[in-house]
Amino acid sequence: MRTVLIVEDEWAIADWLEVLLSEYAFNVLVAGNGREALDILHRDTPDLVLTDFMMPFLDGAGLIAAMGQDERLSGIPVVVMTSLLEHVVRDRAGRFHAYLRKPFREADLMRIISEIFPGEA
Amino acid sequence: MSGDNGRFATGVPGLDAILGGGVFDGGIYIIQGAPGAGKTILGNQICFAQAAQGRNALYITLLAESHARMIGHMRRMTFFDEAAIPDRMSYVGAFKTLEDDGLRGLLDVVRREVRTRKASILVLDGLITVHEKARSELELKKFIHELQTQAAFSNCTMFLLTSAFDADAHPPEHTMVDGLIELQTSLHGRRAERSLQVHKLRGTWFMGGKHSYRITENGHAIYPRIEALLETPSVWDSADGPMVSVGIGGVDKMLGGGVDTHSVTVVLGPSGSGKTTAGLQFLTGGPANEPAMLFGFHENPMALRIKADSLKLPLKARGEKVTLMWRPQTEAVLDEVATELLSTIRQNGVRRLVIDGIEGFSKLTDEKERIGSFLSALCNELRALGVTTLATAETDHAGMTPGQPLKGVNQTGLSAVAENIIALHLAALRSENHRLMTILKSRDRRTDMRMRRFEILDGGIVLDADFQSAERILRDISSQGPAPTPSTDLKLTGE
Repeated sequence: MRTVLIVEDEWAIADWLEVLLSEYAFNVLVAGNGREALDILHRDTPDLVLTDFMMPFLDGAGLIAAMGQDERLSGIPVVVMTSLLEHVVRDRAGRFHAYLRKPFREADLMRIISEIFPGEA
Repeated sequence: MSGDNGRFATGVPGLDAILGGGVFDGGIYIIQGAPGAGKTILGNQICFAQAAQGRNALYITLLAESHARMIGHMRRMTFFDEAAIPDRMSYVGAFKTLEDDGLRGLLDVVRREVRTRKASILVLDGLITVHEKARSELELKKFIHELQTQAAFSNCTMFLLTSAFDADAHPPEHTMVDGLIELQTSLHGRRAERSLQVHKLRGTWFMGGKHSYRITENGHAIYPRIEALLETPSVWDSADGPMVSVGIGGVDKMLGGGVDTHSVTVVLGPSGSGKTTAGLQFLTGGPANEPAMLFGFHENPMALRIKADSLKLPLKARGEKVTLMWRPQTEAVLDEVATELLSTIRQNGVRRLVIDGIEGFSKLTDEKERIGSFLSALCNELRALGVTTLATAETDHAGMTPGQPLKGVNQTGLSAVAENIIALHLAALRSENHRLMTILKSRDRRTDMRMRRFEILDGGIVLDADFQSAERILRDISSQGPAPTPSTDLKLTGE
């Protein structure tokens, strides 16, 4: 079973993603911001990170940077989910696998996940 | 940007005038209003206005719409600046923190985010959720107190948005914050009118009472009550200079040479008596290079141009020196209309103004008791701006009553604001209607108050040289018996 870490400060979106991905048979971890996400990443190694960009304590750019400096985490694909324009995110964040513009639909998310895990989602 | 006195303008049109100049750096303000009142738009508008000045703004949501939806809505607003996000304007959610860690956790989010983002403006959207989460009144008071401390030490001005409002209740946070601004919507018949009221503002004078506001694609535009904004005119009146022609030769003579510069003259008369014609003559009766303006509620600019052409008045020849401003009485707001009028006058340097249908202002509000002081403030400001004004006002047709040619001419509310009052009448004699004119009031001047008959010909109103024909008409009317009772009585003040 694949594990997905959701990093999202808007609880309603985090809840929706948690339920949705659980229904797709993912093991789901949830963090409310980048700092909480790093706490989880110290003990777990998910297969995918879905992260918001503007968050308290540690934002998406900070999280991606911290993951990039950790050999164990740097290979985990990261999907940035945000209302910001893609170039704004690319100017501020290091490498990430995919960009998902909010608000998005279930099909948009699952399309990206299926590209990351072909034949699984 | 912050001023020398530690205050800064919010940048929301009209709001800073009401706040006596703006809000204080490091102050904490509650903005409250029912759902749909526009709190979120106002919060965003203040943030983006400050971001445009190079300051950093932070918008923290609790139980509010998602950031994606909020940003999606704000994108439609002209103040929205995509480039400001996320460096100068950022959104973070803190409901989960509040739920998990309580008010203490939320304070921690605010403290850290304000510091790391170097925010000088913070909007906390959803104070009611904090209210509901607080276990006691004391805990809520402590939360507000600590927020005040943070605001002061970080020099970050905070706006707390909440939908909670009970006019009779006095929530503890109201006594603690620096300012309390309420957004309201009230129904007048089927028409909804929005108003803003500042209930409290520490450390400064503010404009009390309710002020109308609108929300458009430009965000909030707040219109301070004209009589409060212009309690005293914005500049000193310097009513000197030559007399001003009203553009109708015979009338100038009756008035003893014209009207005083910067004065207000009201032309009263029933429909069809020639008021708008008099207005167009006044409009085009000054020097060709003098900026002039006609503001009206009824006839649109095209209709006025056609009318001027048919009267052979040189409106077209005046080109851009003449502004025609039309404001139909549909959903307009009294103070909005007056603000636009004064703004256009200032912008165009108008010196000669016609207000066609001054009673139209009273139809823009249900608060009829305001109209007297509203007109007084408006006219004082026009004088102070160096504008000579001719306003028309519609009366009923009661002037046809034999022996009482002025019956039904309601001057209430006008006498106080107008230096000169000219009355037009329609006098029915057998099958013929005659137009008559008289001067009812001319301040500080010897005036020929005898009636004159007049006609409307090429060039506009042409007065008889003397009062003989007017007298003959009135005498003959007296001898023909009573005229029909008028069916309408339009009043300016609604009294």
